[in-house]
Amino acid sequence: MMDAQTLVDRLGEIVGPQNVLSSQMDLMLYSYDASPEKGIPDVVVLPDSTEEVSKIMVLAHTEKIPVLGRGSGTNLTGGTIPVQGGIVVHFSRMNRILDLDIPNRTVTVEPGIITLDLQTEVLKKGFVYQPDPASQKVSTIGGNIAENSGGPHCLKYGVTSNHIQGLELVLDDGTVVETGGKSWDKPGFDITGLFVGCEGTLAMVTKAILKLERAPEAVKTMLAVYETIEDGANTVSAIIAEGIIPATLEMMDNRVMRAVEETIHAGYPLDAAAVLIIELDGMPQGMEECALKIMDICKENNVREVKLAKDEAERATLWAGRKGAFGAVGQVRPSYQCCDGTVPRTKLPEVLNKVIRIGEKYDLPIGNVFHAGDGNLHPLIMFDERDPEEKARVQKAATEILKACADAGGTISGEHGVGLEKLKETSFIFCETDLAFERTLKQAFDPTNIINPGKMIPEAVC
Amino acid sequence: MKNFDELINELREMLGQKSVAVEPDRLSHFRVDHLTPQAVVFPKNTRQVSDVIRLAHAHNLGVVPWGSGTKMIMGNPPKRLDLVLSTSRMNHIIDVDTANLTITVEAGVKFRDIQARLATQEDRCYLPLEDLATEADEVICSDRSHSGSFLPMDPPEADKATIGGIIATNAAGPRRLLYRLPRDLILGVRMVAPTGDMVGSGGKTVKNVSGYDVSKLAVGSLGSLGVICEITFKLLPLPEKMETLLFSFKSFDAASAFADQIFETSLLPAAVEVLTGGACSRLPMEGIPDFSESPYGVAVALEGFVPAVARMSDELTTMAKSLGTIADTRLEGNRHQAFWLAMSNLGRTFESEHPGLITLKVNTPVSQWAKTMNTLEATLSKADLPYALQAHAGNGVCLARLLLDGEDNDTMEKAVDTVNRLSNLYSEKDGSLVVQTVPSQWKAQLNVWGTPGSAFPVMKRLKEKIDPLGIMNPGRFVGGL
Repeated sequence: MMDAQTLVDRLGEIVGPQNVLSSQMDLMLYSYDASPEKGIPDVVVLPDSTEEVSKIMVLAHTEKIPVLGRGSGTNLTGGTIPVQGGIVVHFSRMNRILDLDIPNRTVTVEPGIITLDLQTEVLKKGFVYQPDPASQKVSTIGGNIAENSGGPHCLKYGVTSNHIQGLELVLDDGTVVETGGKSWDKPGFDITGLFVGCEGTLAMVTKAILKLERAPEAVKTMLAVYETIEDGANTVSAIIAEGIIPATLEMMDNRVMRAVEETIHAGYPLDAAAVLIIELDGMPQGMEECALKIMDICKENNVREVKLAKDEAERATLWAGRKGAFGAVGQVRPSYQCCDGTVPRTKLPEVLNKVIRIGEKYDLPIGNVFHAGDGNLHPLIMFDERDPEEKARVQKAATEILKACADAGGTISGEHGVGLEKLKETSFIFCETDLAFERTLKQAFDPTNIINPGKMIPEAVC
Repeated sequence: MKNFDELINELREMLGQKSVAVEPDRLSHFRVDHLTPQAVVFPKNTRQVSDVIRLAHAHNLGVVPWGSGTKMIMGNPPKRLDLVLSTSRMNHIIDVDTANLTITVEAGVKFRDIQARLATQEDRCYLPLEDLATEADEVICSDRSHSGSFLPMDPPEADKATIGGIIATNAAGPRRLLYRLPRDLILGVRMVAPTGDMVGSGGKTVKNVSGYDVSKLAVGSLGSLGVICEITFKLLPLPEKMETLLFSFKSFDAASAFADQIFETSLLPAAVEVLTGGACSRLPMEGIPDFSESPYGVAVALEGFVPAVARMSDELTTMAKSLGTIADTRLEGNRHQAFWLAMSNLGRTFESEHPGLITLKVNTPVSQWAKTMNTLEATLSKADLPYALQAHAGNGVCLARLLLDGEDNDTMEKAVDTVNRLSNLYSEKDGSLVVQTVPSQWKAQLNVWGTPGSAFPVMKRLKEKIDPLGIMNPGRFVGGL
């Protein structure tokens, strides 16, 4: 590998010296993400165009330097940690909307755009980009694509993958290719589909064509309050079994509500065991009937009360609590680890019980805030990372929770990815031939293993 | 290298005597373009597929997977063909979890059997159960889950196609407008890679970011990366109400103005299908007189809650009248299902009547569909070729069928010329043109997949890495992969 100063100089020639960061302070700032993992890069570079990204890749490829794309660094599993050092490519300058094409229901953007900024912009025209990860205020489209981000509205509208029509990718050797496009059904392998959720291990995305939908005519948001978390979970299964697919079914337990109330004041009932946020959207015709059916189901499952958001302001308050939940939990203890296990929704009550028992077993506070309608759990294990003994218990508890999810016919990650954190746990859901096939796919894109190395697929055991 | 007789014996030991066919009269049913396989194998499960493919890999045999055979005319002629792998015995529904809204099936299960299985006790079903065609020795799945859910897909030949074939071709129809593509409904896949390894990803959860999304790689790959064996899908509750509105128009402009106006509203129809050039009259369904005589027809599928369907029905009828519809018909109850099944069989109807049929699928950005239809109509009229056109209006998909008898060489050559010109036109723009059906002997003069885009090198890398010997569907896919 070339020496540090030469690398900085060469990158400076590509993007201009002011867009290359290499001081110890700068490197520290890029050494962490939203997970507890750490790793220092050798250099950070901020390109402004596809052409610059391509030149960076040529350099990395020729010199065999690890390279890692980064958006806002909100990854929860260590996906953005440069474990082998090398170059971090920060896409913050490539944050433009290139082409808002309402007639064709698409918007073409650069990867560094903040998801909510984009959504705000398209909403002005009466359109929505559906995926709404809780991190949307800070996370970028590029990061959402890499992680196939979910969000509350996945229940009805699907995950990020269902809303990406095309990509511009820079391959390991700097080649620029386009996949998909504004028209559907491009013949050939679905490279777009394979790329979304690849955790940034296959190529660099430099442009994305996103699918837009007309904003729904009507929205109805309800808050159902429960004395037990089980009643809430049973309500979720019963709503789906009744043949109703709300836009969202989100759940929060008492511990999370307390944390939220301390910082956000969303008006959640602090003496309840759990609340369920239920939202319907679409054409108003039939919505009232649906809401009544849902209220009946809630009652059958011992709901204490169901509140209906009277206006947009009330709705926004209910959501602010949910979307700010992770941050609020961060105020309770210095650190938290979020397990992102997902189960078939009918298994929710059973697995939630197991999670509670695991918390008791390891004497760790666990808060639950999750996408109940998708069976996507988010137990937040709260701890202090300065306490190594506690940290070790957290690891054990997290692994046990993921095992419980896998054993229930689910998976170890619904939307946060495997990253560094769950490499070991991939064995819960994959056999060696599955992993070998994943390595084959990785090698097809990145034979020299320079793109975000060390993530997602555990190394082969010989 | 062993001689082929020894391999046949090995296959028979593996699968059982009856599950390996070598008799010429049986093989002749499994021709792929100009090639006849040396044997057809009928594995009964994923394990057996793995055994077959491992053997094929060890002896470098070319393998073509085969479901119901409804789409075998697609693609380039195979470069070589030793084995056809029929999925007809892999017809088990593995897991029906309607409370979780998922289903897991083997690749050889027919689409219609999935829908039948999901029907209610009273046989309320997404397909018209009593109208389904069956071969002599077949029965439609009579086991009912009583759930009243459905697999929201709308493939061509919905009564014959296997789910494996639908996935391999990402086949969709008019109702993709509301329910999107098979790729969006697939949650997990198990396939047998060209090495014989069983590989896969995904499962019964609607969200899953654990490993690469192998199912996306399987969808639309034409089986060129392995044999798709088991697939998990998400389901939806059966719509409370289903209804079809049929409108006739005197001119294409009026029909397209109507369709485009629908997309300017917040209404959510399941399909907006525009038919021209005599396509209306060929729908294999009786009792739709106004529509079948229509020169330009628009068929709208409405599926949803009762009040929402009622509102859409009223508003769309008013809108169509204000735009000069000359006749309108409403199909309710089972007639709705029967109509869309007939629509899915439009291609088969044309194929049986026109042995030289050429079918083009042209994709352009969604707003361009009417312009594309105009271009197709003008080009085909000018070339004096008989045609029927159809558009999935909200998705930018146009289907052009050249209604040829295939006997007159001059006409066929003219048709092939015209197709090549259109193919160049749509490869240059942000679009694509795929020749879906054409008599085998003309394929050499056509680029059936169009020009592959800039991502082709990535596809080539994947194919070479996953299938280094090139045994799976040799040469049939895009760019000869």
